[in-house]
Amino acid sequence: MPSRTLHPEIQYRTLDQQGETAQLGMWVFIATETLFFGALLFVYFLYRRAYPAAFAQAGKDAVLWCGTVNLVLLLTSSLTMVLSINAAADGRRRAIAAWLVATALLGFVFLGVKGYEYYADYADQVVPAVNFMIKAGEAPVGELFWVFYFVATGLHAVHLSIGLGLILYMLRRVRRGDLSPAYYAPLEVVGLYWGFVDTVWLFLYPAIYLVGR
Amino acid sequence: MTAAARCEPALLYVIAWLTMLLLAGISLGSAYLELGVLAPVVEFGIAASQAAILFVLFMRLKGPPSLKWLFAGSGFFWLLFLYGLSMTDYATRRGWPSPG
Repeated sequence: MPSRTLHPEIQYRTLDQQGETAQLGMWVFIATETLFFGALLFVYFLYRRAYPAAFAQAGKDAVLWCGTVNLVLLLTSSLTMVLSINAAADGRRRAIAAWLVATALLGFVFLGVKGYEYYADYADQVVPAVNFMIKAGEAPVGELFWVFYFVATGLHAVHLSIGLGLILYMLRRVRRGDLSPAYYAPLEVVGLYWGFVDTVWLFLYPAIYLVGR
Repeated sequence: MTAAARCEPALLYVIAWLTMLLLAGISLGSAYLELGVLAPVVEFGIAASQAAILFVLFMRLKGPPSLKWLFAGSGFFWLLFLYGLSMTDYATRRGWPSPG
């Protein structure tokens, strides 16, 4: 497999050093993202503890099958992503591309399901500031649950969309022959990002879909 | 850091994936049990277990460079400060929570 990046950048002694630095850089970014989504979850826990009954009532209206299907899709996409990295380490260029395409497809299906869910939420009149309607027997403060739901899932969808863009860019690099068993750090870094996006959904799933069941 | 040093057998990833799916099923099932205040502990505990599998295997914390553990852990370290210091306010605030 021909490679255009077999020589390290001028500030590195070896390709391994360059790759390790790239990985550590992504871990620093992930640390900041942990604080970003962690603060969001803190607010969730705070209000859920303050208004447990209202959150349980509101949570019942979340579309469980959408959240569950999306959880399975993302977990599977993490598998396909890591298999693409394995293929890169072995120099199997077709396999890298195939697993990346599978990962991207799973991501696009996730967004499709999410889009359908937003449509169902709109029809159910649970969108704050747009058409939120307090249902019989539910407390007005339940709207806080839906504010969290749209902020958290919206931010997650933005992150996932960026991840999809990065995967498509990686496909282009694979096609150009930029990755080789000696250096595939860019793919590993994208894999780290994708894994984090998956991790966020692992925590949003019980927060949104399992409360009040 | 050679490629071989970083790679795990594909079968291990498949087993880890199946384990995470199983945990997701247990989490979903537990939501229908009458666990009361323990429900969020179980559900988020399972999420944390799944995240640990993802971090260690799929995000390759296992393997060189070991410095990755420090970088990955730093986010959670500072998160403890964020939660702890914020709770000093909310745990002691009068009139909180206001009636919903």
